[in-house]
Amino acid sequence: MRNIIFLSSISICLLIAISCDEDLLEKDNRNKQTTTTYYKTASEISAALNGVYAVLQSNSMGGREWFFLHDLRSDEMATGGGQLETHRNQVLIGTHDPSNGVLSSVWTASYRLILRANAVIQFAPDADITDANLKARYIAEAKFLRAWTYFQLYAFWGDVPLYQEFSTSIADAQARAPISDVKALVISDLTEAISVLPSSFSGNDLGRATKIAAQAVLAKVYLFDGQYQEAKPLLEAVVAAGEAAAGGTALMDEYFDNFTEETEYNKESVWEISYTANGNYNWDGDGNDYGPNESWIRSQEYSAVGWRNLIPSDKLLAEFENNDPRLNYNFFFTGDEYGDPSSPKSLTDVDQRGNSSVFKGVTQKISWKKYSVMYKLDPGGFWDKIGINYRMMRYADIYLLLAECENEIGSGTKAVEYLNKIRARPSVNMPPYPTAAYPTGSKDQIFKAVMHERMVELAGEEQRNFDILRWRKAGKLATEPISYFQANKYERLPIPLGELDANVNIEQANQNPGY
Amino acid sequence: MIATLLVICSLNLQAGDTLKKGDDSATIVLSVKSASVKEILENLEEQTNFHFFYNHKAMSSSEKITMTLDNVSLESALREIGERADLVFKVRGDQIVVKKKPAVSVISMFQREDYFLSKQDIDRVLASSKEVTIINEISVSGQVIDEVSKPLPGVNILVKGTTIGTTTDADGRYALTAPDAGSVLVFSFIGYTTQEVAVGNQTDISIKMEPDVSTLSEIVVVGYGTQKRSSVTGAVSSVESKEISALAVPSVQSALQGRVAGVNVTNNGSPGASPIVRIRGIGSITGSSDPLYVVDGLPTGGLNSFDPRDIESVEVLKDAASAAIYGSRAANGVILITTKKGAKNRGMTVDVESYYGVQNAWKTLDLLKRDDYLQYGTELLTNAGSTLPARFSNMNDPIYSGTSQTYAQTETDWQDEVFQAAPIYQLQASLASSTEKAKLYASAGVYGQDGIMVGTDFKRYNFRLNSEMNISKFVRFGQTLTIASSNQTNLQESGGRTILQHVVHSVPYMPVRDPTKLGGYRAPDNNDGSDPENPMRIQEMDENSTDVVKVFGTAYLDVSILQSLTYRFTFGSDFSYSKNLVDQPIYNDGFGGRTQHNLQDNRTTWFSPLFQNQLTFNKQFGKHLINVTAVAERQDLKFSALNASAQQSSNFIYSLQAGQNQTIGYNDTYETTLLSYLGRINYEFAGKYLLSASIRRDGFSGFAPGHKWGNFPGVSVGWRVSEESFMASIPSISELKLRASYGSLGVNNVGPFDWQSLISLNTTFPFNNTNQGGAYFNSLPNTELSWEKTQMTNFGIDLGLFNNQVTLTAEYFQRKVDDLLLRVPLAPSMGYTVDYLGNVGKMENSGFELQAGYNKMDGDFTFNLTANIGTVRNEVTDLYVPGSTIFAGSNADFGGTNITKTETGHSVQGFYGWVTDGIFQTQAEIDAANNADGDAATKYQSQAAPGDIRFKDLNNDGVINESDRTYLGSFLPNFSYGLNFSGNYKNFDVTLFLQGVQGNEVYNGTKVLTQGMLRLFGAETDVLNAWTPENTDTAVPRAVNGDPNQNSRTSNRFIDDGSYMRIKNLTIGYSLPSAILNSFAKGSVRKLRIYASFQNLLTLTNYSGYDPEIGYRNANSLVQGIDYGQYPQPRTIMGGIQVGF
Repeated sequence: MRNIIFLSSISICLLIAISCDEDLLEKDNRNKQTTTTYYKTASEISAALNGVYAVLQSNSMGGREWFFLHDLRSDEMATGGGQLETHRNQVLIGTHDPSNGVLSSVWTASYRLILRANAVIQFAPDADITDANLKARYIAEAKFLRAWTYFQLYAFWGDVPLYQEFSTSIADAQARAPISDVKALVISDLTEAISVLPSSFSGNDLGRATKIAAQAVLAKVYLFDGQYQEAKPLLEAVVAAGEAAAGGTALMDEYFDNFTEETEYNKESVWEISYTANGNYNWDGDGNDYGPNESWIRSQEYSAVGWRNLIPSDKLLAEFENNDPRLNYNFFFTGDEYGDPSSPKSLTDVDQRGNSSVFKGVTQKISWKKYSVMYKLDPGGFWDKIGINYRMMRYADIYLLLAECENEIGSGTKAVEYLNKIRARPSVNMPPYPTAAYPTGSKDQIFKAVMHERMVELAGEEQRNFDILRWRKAGKLATEPISYFQANKYERLPIPLGELDANVNIEQANQNPGY
Repeated sequence: MIATLLVICSLNLQAGDTLKKGDDSATIVLSVKSASVKEILENLEEQTNFHFFYNHKAMSSSEKITMTLDNVSLESALREIGERADLVFKVRGDQIVVKKKPAVSVISMFQREDYFLSKQDIDRVLASSKEVTIINEISVSGQVIDEVSKPLPGVNILVKGTTIGTTTDADGRYALTAPDAGSVLVFSFIGYTTQEVAVGNQTDISIKMEPDVSTLSEIVVVGYGTQKRSSVTGAVSSVESKEISALAVPSVQSALQGRVAGVNVTNNGSPGASPIVRIRGIGSITGSSDPLYVVDGLPTGGLNSFDPRDIESVEVLKDAASAAIYGSRAANGVILITTKKGAKNRGMTVDVESYYGVQNAWKTLDLLKRDDYLQYGTELLTNAGSTLPARFSNMNDPIYSGTSQTYAQTETDWQDEVFQAAPIYQLQASLASSTEKAKLYASAGVYGQDGIMVGTDFKRYNFRLNSEMNISKFVRFGQTLTIASSNQTNLQESGGRTILQHVVHSVPYMPVRDPTKLGGYRAPDNNDGSDPENPMRIQEMDENSTDVVKVFGTAYLDVSILQSLTYRFTFGSDFSYSKNLVDQPIYNDGFGGRTQHNLQDNRTTWFSPLFQNQLTFNKQFGKHLINVTAVAERQDLKFSALNASAQQSSNFIYSLQAGQNQTIGYNDTYETTLLSYLGRINYEFAGKYLLSASIRRDGFSGFAPGHKWGNFPGVSVGWRVSEESFMASIPSISELKLRASYGSLGVNNVGPFDWQSLISLNTTFPFNNTNQGGAYFNSLPNTELSWEKTQMTNFGIDLGLFNNQVTLTAEYFQRKVDDLLLRVPLAPSMGYTVDYLGNVGKMENSGFELQAGYNKMDGDFTFNLTANIGTVRNEVTDLYVPGSTIFAGSNADFGGTNITKTETGHSVQGFYGWVTDGIFQTQAEIDAANNADGDAATKYQSQAAPGDIRFKDLNNDGVINESDRTYLGSFLPNFSYGLNFSGNYKNFDVTLFLQGVQGNEVYNGTKVLTQGMLRLFGAETDVLNAWTPENTDTAVPRAVNGDPNQNSRTSNRFIDDGSYMRIKNLTIGYSLPSAILNSFAKGSVRKLRIYASFQNLLTLTNYSGYDPEIGYRNANSLVQGIDYGQYPQPRTIMGGIQVGF
């Protein structure tokens, strides 16, 4: 009996000893902060802002899908051959449907960027940042990035869902908002950015959005709707700032300096997405990973000895005037030297997979050189360590837009002057307008020169698609550049199927026409 | 023991008719001092006409009695004497039999089938005995032996229809007194078939017990205890060790396939990959639908670490009432695994078992050979207006410099390269011992299995030690421990594509190897116009392997507080450590390459301790049997993960140290706690009416504040109709039980902080080429995140005929899930990456299960036949927002469109796409279709050309778009079944096990790859039959690169019937007769059996891909049954030997 009492006591003690203290169920997260504990300090807001830039750089945006989406919808590009993935080829030939992966990637990533930007915009005002200017700058940078993204969205898709704050409930999915509403937010965001952001950054802030970048984007927003009057002063301000900083024309002497790793953040640059050769390419759609993988896949996608998914269209090649040096800055021809400049290799037909082009009546292999790493090394079959920054906007573009504005609402002479600045670049050194092929006697003639100059100067720089869209809208295109174009369909991309499927406020009935 | 005690009840101590043999008024006068019993009895003989019979030896007690009786009845006298001298008396005619009273105190408390009567009880019984019985008793004795002729102790022997009985001793011997010659002795023992023997005039009845192969074995393990099979009221299915170890598989999960009605097992991947186990349908849409695995009372995972041969039994708790005792984790069913505890009988046995076999792919596809490939490629590209690859016109080039072999001379069979004959083997030695004081089971084993695809394998070393010791009459200690070390080399994916995808895509004129390339492998390059990766390079050069060490043990202390009340304290510890190595060497195969040797070292530590306090009360009050269980327990999980990576410039350095780009990627550490209180009462009246009720209250730290606790009750009732007296007229029905149950269960399948919106810091932006860290959140928080609730009702019937020679169990269940833990896909425009985890949606599963068995246990030819079949009907009854849908399965290589859709009113993840309507034969047909709506400008299918597939315009709007999709089928079978035959003829044994599913569809992604003609890749020979203006009588559309008409979109073209029936196992064994064994081994070898076994010997199916058993890819739910090119199940031929000492 004594044993029983003894053992019972032990049992009861054990019961009590591990009896369940309900506080045990309250656990601290020792790995991660939450939205309620983060966004309190300057460094946290700064990191949150870096997160917005990171999406811009990601695989679904500037890293890959975004430039593809622009290029595939322009007439500058042709398929490199069977290696071009089907969903990309569909966009190129106009058979894309709402399930297309290229356009849904860009759509999704754009809104991820907007979510992150909204977080900065909403949390920063209450954060403990003593430097009021810094706080304002963080918010302004976020608004700049949000505005740029919304502009891309409505230019591609028309009416799009508008989120001025991040959503907090599953019922927050928005219906399509009219472009005018979206554009109003874009203008207001950019206006604030212009008033807050500095004209330039230095040191480890290089790559941030600046006042001139905001002005340039706002100008493009206006130009997209033919609002030359509103765009012109903005572009002039950008040019003035650039020329003041450069102490002269804001163009690099060497055209190709705009596409190499060694000459990043130069005076011609208005805004760049930064990439570094450190690590490999980060295939994550949103640009999330733990490695220092911040390189760019562009070279691999287009290079002569890479995958060569897209090649210049015959039309683009034909656009180049005889002896325009930019032809050889933009493209590799068979027999060109590439790789380590101290022991260059000669490019062969066999090196270049896939399709040939017809240039000057000759069928031959021609490949993209712009943004290819082949200017300095032989990437072999595969090279995903390219650190060349992507120049989102550069002064040549600004000068050309200004020329277009002058031609529309200002002086034709000034327009030609701006055009000729581009042609006078030492490494280009093309005869000034007017030329035999491009007289400048009339507004129309100058516009043709603008169109030509934009096409050859900015070839493969993701400007052509929006140029076509805005010129078409304004009735400025004598001939339709897109072979498959069909009115009331191809002006816009289809709302991605994923959005139709998951957003209860957007149904097939709300789809863009033709899809 | 029971019987002996109860014999007292019939003791005649009342002076009645039959006690008046002599003088009915006789009274006893007795006065003795220090007299022996013998002397007293002799005295009484003189005073009455009765004669006392007794064993003189038994009465030789030296105990002396002093007593005085004055004029009392004989009855009173005997009672007094019995009390003093521990004797009982029985009247037989004019004789009185005298026996020693049984010693109550030696009854072991652990023999729960025993009954206890206190001294007071005995007195009460004695006092109330009124009857007088004259019995023509027969003393019977004998020995019980087991199937290998060893004595079997502990066998229960009961005289049928009475309470008279005993158990065998350590030598298997017993002795009892049967009431008369018409008595029937019932011999029963756990794990053996119950036998009945009529006594007649026999006095020596020795029998051999046969192992019970029926599923209605006596004791089943239920949560926190055991129960007699006959008392079970829930839906509990048992699988025994023999069935579990019948197949050469790494884990118990695969062994369960086809064994239990209502349990669906789908093998899913290369060796060591966990199969998908679904009990009674799909429980959750985006959460896990995996059951809870409880090994020796400790919930765990990682079943690969448990050697199936160490397993004694597996119980599947299918309904809510039986599983409710596991509350918040049991909604998907519970699988209880009990490991072997010791020998079945006292003594020691040593067993050594080994098998070796070879596995092969049982099917390959008919892929294009070189010349056919060139022909097909030419047509594909020409039709699209694309240039032909340069190689097509340079086939006479050498495949690499320095060799004379040309592409035109090269013909690689990529399937032949990747598939291999793969060995499989196991060696296990085990020792089992049992004594009165202790039981012991120890084993050590090694299991190895190479995959039939190059570069995959699984290997395990395992050790087990289980023991149980009776420390005293009141205290027992037991423990289980297993230590297992395994290594798994995984089938890889590269570029988001499965190895089989690369295999069927590979170009037949390409060599596998090329010594001139860095790394030695070759892939198509720019000249080939095609870019599959070299699957051999991926599998041979790259490596993704995981080492797991698991130390898993429990220890328990049983304390008998009262005879009917026991306390058990259990401590369990589940520790596992895993190390995953990703090794990607430098290479350049001409198309792709790596310039750095990428290395990843990913480690996780998992430690889950369990503390459990359990009180069990078990008592019989007359016809009432009550069993009450109360438990308080706590299970924690301490988890940490550390993933590190670096790059080396040498392929021979595997260390991260001094590498470039060293990073600590994922580093996570967390703890969770689950607190539980539970109680259960089982009540049984007269062995006929059964009731079980339980409730569990669980608190889990992973849920949002205020939503952490949940209550999970269950109740079940049963009626053993066969025990009713009115059933006695139908002797053929040996068992008939009706059961019904209802209960509520939960699922806590959430991460520790899923309710919060967490900040991620794993992103950077390189301002000025200098990385700066970024922060973001990508999920919507849910501060109301809580339990998923499942309600299940179950109706069952158990039927046994002809002494349970035929058994039948039928069940119907209805399972309703509410507050479904669902990952709701958010509109992409909301910007969140992670789908919202909420308690939203409802789903129902319902179905029938039937399990039947037939035993033929006599004669030279004995056999056992069992069959089971289960159906499940699934319907999503509500999603998060009315009209909401969840699509899944989209993949650019498989047509680019989503493949499954989940919505209210349909079964989960139905295949969803377009319906084909033949092939457009002419432009005129296309024009007519375009004009069908009266407007030729609105195209029917905008890119259609002759030879393209015409899709059905389901909504008749004259255009094919997203709105013309419909449900095409489901991966859920109409029913699944298993059929097992095991027979013995003399020394031969044979087992034939069939398993299959019927009525399910597979989305044949492999066919999209091989016939989709999206781009130039290797393909199946069917593409040679593609539509051309000359070849119009075909189902294969025209070959055109880029697939402008999207002929490969999700459609019924790729839906295949996934039904199959497999000869899962055929085993033929031969056991050496004991005479021969004795002749050469002199008795040291108890058993020697050799066998040949075939797994997946034959598969009957109409499925045209590699294998119809399709799980899911990347552990993603909602893509089950889509064949993206998953690892096919092998056919295995093996031989084995079992030796027992």
